[in-house]
Amino acid sequence: MSASTETGNEQYELDPVFLNSRREAKVIFGVWFLCAIWAVPVSYLLGYNQTVTPGSVETVLGIPKWTFWGLFLPWLVADVITTAFCFKFLKEDDLGHADDEEGPAETAAAASQEDAQ
Amino acid sequence: MTPLLLAEGSNAALVTFAIYTLAVFGIAALSNQLLKSKSFMSEYFLGSRSLGVWAFALTFAATSSSGGSFTGFPAKIYTHGWILALWIGSYMVVPICTMGLIGKRLNQVARLSGAITVPDVLRDRFNSQRFGLMAVVLIVFFMSFNLVAQFKAGALILKVLLADVQVFNDFSAVVAGWTSDMPFFGSDGKYLVCLFFFGVAVIAYTTYGGFHAVVWTDVMQGIVMVFGVLILLPLALYAVGGLDSATHEMSKMTTPRRGYATVAVDDRATAPQQLDKDDWLKFEAADGTRVFRVAKPFAVPADAAEIHAVELLEITTPDEVDRILAGSVPAEFVDGLSVSGFQKPDEKFGTVTIIPSAGSGGTTFARGDVLHTENQAGDDKRTFQVAADTIVPIDETEVVVPVVESADGKYLHGMAHGDLKASAVSLQSVSYVYGADQPGVYLTGPGPSATDSVGFLSLSVAISFFFMWAISGTGQPSNMVRLMAFNNSKTLKRAIFTVAIYYSLIYLPLVVIFCCARVLVPGLETEPDRIMPEIAVYLTGRVGAAWLGGLLIAAPFAAVMSTVDSFLLMISSAMVRDIYQRNISPDASEKTIKRLSYLCTLLVGSIAMIVAINPPRFLQDIIVYVGSGLAACFLAPTLFLLYWPRSNEQGSIIGMLSGFSAHLAMYAAGMFVNGSFFRPYRLFEFDPIIIGLTVSFAVTYFATLATAPPSEDLVRKYFYRRKSQ
Repeated sequence: MSASTETGNEQYELDPVFLNSRREAKVIFGVWFLCAIWAVPVSYLLGYNQTVTPGSVETVLGIPKWTFWGLFLPWLVADVITTAFCFKFLKEDDLGHADDEEGPAETAAAASQEDAQ
Repeated sequence: MTPLLLAEGSNAALVTFAIYTLAVFGIAALSNQLLKSKSFMSEYFLGSRSLGVWAFALTFAATSSSGGSFTGFPAKIYTHGWILALWIGSYMVVPICTMGLIGKRLNQVARLSGAITVPDVLRDRFNSQRFGLMAVVLIVFFMSFNLVAQFKAGALILKVLLADVQVFNDFSAVVAGWTSDMPFFGSDGKYLVCLFFFGVAVIAYTTYGGFHAVVWTDVMQGIVMVFGVLILLPLALYAVGGLDSATHEMSKMTTPRRGYATVAVDDRATAPQQLDKDDWLKFEAADGTRVFRVAKPFAVPADAAEIHAVELLEITTPDEVDRILAGSVPAEFVDGLSVSGFQKPDEKFGTVTIIPSAGSGGTTFARGDVLHTENQAGDDKRTFQVAADTIVPIDETEVVVPVVESADGKYLHGMAHGDLKASAVSLQSVSYVYGADQPGVYLTGPGPSATDSVGFLSLSVAISFFFMWAISGTGQPSNMVRLMAFNNSKTLKRAIFTVAIYYSLIYLPLVVIFCCARVLVPGLETEPDRIMPEIAVYLTGRVGAAWLGGLLIAAPFAAVMSTVDSFLLMISSAMVRDIYQRNISPDASEKTIKRLSYLCTLLVGSIAMIVAINPPRFLQDIIVYVGSGLAACFLAPTLFLLYWPRSNEQGSIIGMLSGFSAHLAMYAAGMFVNGSFFRPYRLFEFDPIIIGLTVSFAVTYFATLATAPPSEDLVRKYFYRRKSQ
């Protein structure tokens, strides 16, 4: 089936929730990949098989250098990206209504009450 | 650590446990009220798809952070050092991956189909009863194993929590007396009592309250966990004199040595009758004092001059030895005893299981005797020296003998026993096989390892773990069911943000806290799972708030409780909804479904608790096997059915089975290559999860293309909507 299709007198288009979710999933894979290629190689290059002189080790804020640059910093960056993704990129789609749920009016009221909080 | 401190902390722990139990029962009662006003099935198993931000975020976070986060993970940090920051590193993207990759779409598909459980979604997406049933079978198979393992974890944590409470100890002794003639119950009265209380509490509130009770207790437990960590962090940094100081101390540390020694009774008047794991011994050698911690409790007979084959751990870092001897870390030496004859670093110690030949009952393998054994196939001939006197019981089919194995195979003395059949050999190096005598090994990769010659976290394993936590977490049915329960997209995006901050506040501080713990509490390699309660009691005791220690050590208990209740509900929902209602009696009345749901949750929980009386030995291994196995089965079919209109029933079924088989094959191969199911074969050095997922994705894709496309009606229902005019 194509992006838009027709059955009898009814016309259909690809569901925007599906399209948005797929687009968001691709970005998430990208974020995971970015973090992986930062954290693992940097940690390996700076932190593996190193000779340590007891008592004199390079640290950043008390953290071993490799752990800071390879993990603490990307973790911070990942949190910033996650925040930006959630509030700037992730679409607020209507997810529909199941038969076992409260009525749409009640759901909408609950959502607006939550917004007010 | 003073007994007073322990007692104060433990009494607080008892109070904490009592408050906890009351709180969860109160929550269950409240959520049972909700069941009366809503559709029972949807409310009991899915909370009527109404979870708001805090409930959704904290139930997701708490369920994912099982007891392992507060027992196994701290123990690993303590044992292997800073490298655990990389091991857990992919948690930086776990929230965005596990919630964002499929959250919105799965929630929508579940609403479109009216699905309440994960098998419901799979079944309805393809209108395939067999796909749904296959998912049920796999979920029940994996989750049942995990449920038993988590029950054991809960009981063990509670046992540590209450270890010094007199009432508990007295009652446990009575229980041990009752069950002493019943081999099924074992001999550990404390474990039985803890298992019973833990099990009854979890089963009762889960059965009575359903999904909302589980979610609300998760919220409470999630709050306890994060506050526990945030209180421990400054206390640990203060105690160690700052993180810089801790890291520099760790740079001097070398791994401890573990092995057998002979303990001499120097002074009968002061020597105790029983030594426990917390006890310390010293040996005045010519080149200085050597310090040991008891690794396995042992008795000191009244007339003994020497006790042989005592299992000890030797502290090898000179600075650490000095601090222990100076009394600046918690260590109390036992008077009247001294150590001699600790083993050479190139020896291995452990046990060999011998199958006695006919008529050999009553024979004694004396300490120092030499055993020549071969396995049942006759192709593995080995030689050991007996480490402790062992009598072969009459009519027993196996006897476990403590032994030492020398690297050069040379043994100086002892009577030889030949042609013995051995069914199992379990040995450990006295020294760590990677990182021994290497200062700085706790700061750098791959981290010290007692068993793996390439270190704790080789590069390939590091890559596997970066993949595993973030990607395979998406494929966990217990996570998926929560993704079906939030109320709208706004909740999802706020919850992803909340969980990201929550994990940052938990995991990074945990690494820091338990690196500090390495410096503050030495010698706990004898039982590293105890480090969380030990450090909580120690740190709060130092600042005169021992009562707080009791509250803090409730965090791991909370974590394991929140995991168990979720698994329990998943299994009962699979049985009631996916098997009974959808396949046996679709028209069953709500009253019948309600009774069956209560009964099933109660039964599943009770059976798991009974099996946990004699649980499998490999607790953490089972948890890893189940987690990765579920991901290998569920992730690929789920991603394809959500995002690929061409996906079909056949491709998904074949893909699911392929993932299951490939993953299982790696574990089965481990039995032949590494001698144990739980030491899986690592193809190209990668964890079985990578192999399982790769096979599952590839097979699902190609099998789908090779089979007929799905019906247009299904594609239209799940991927299209009517065009607005």
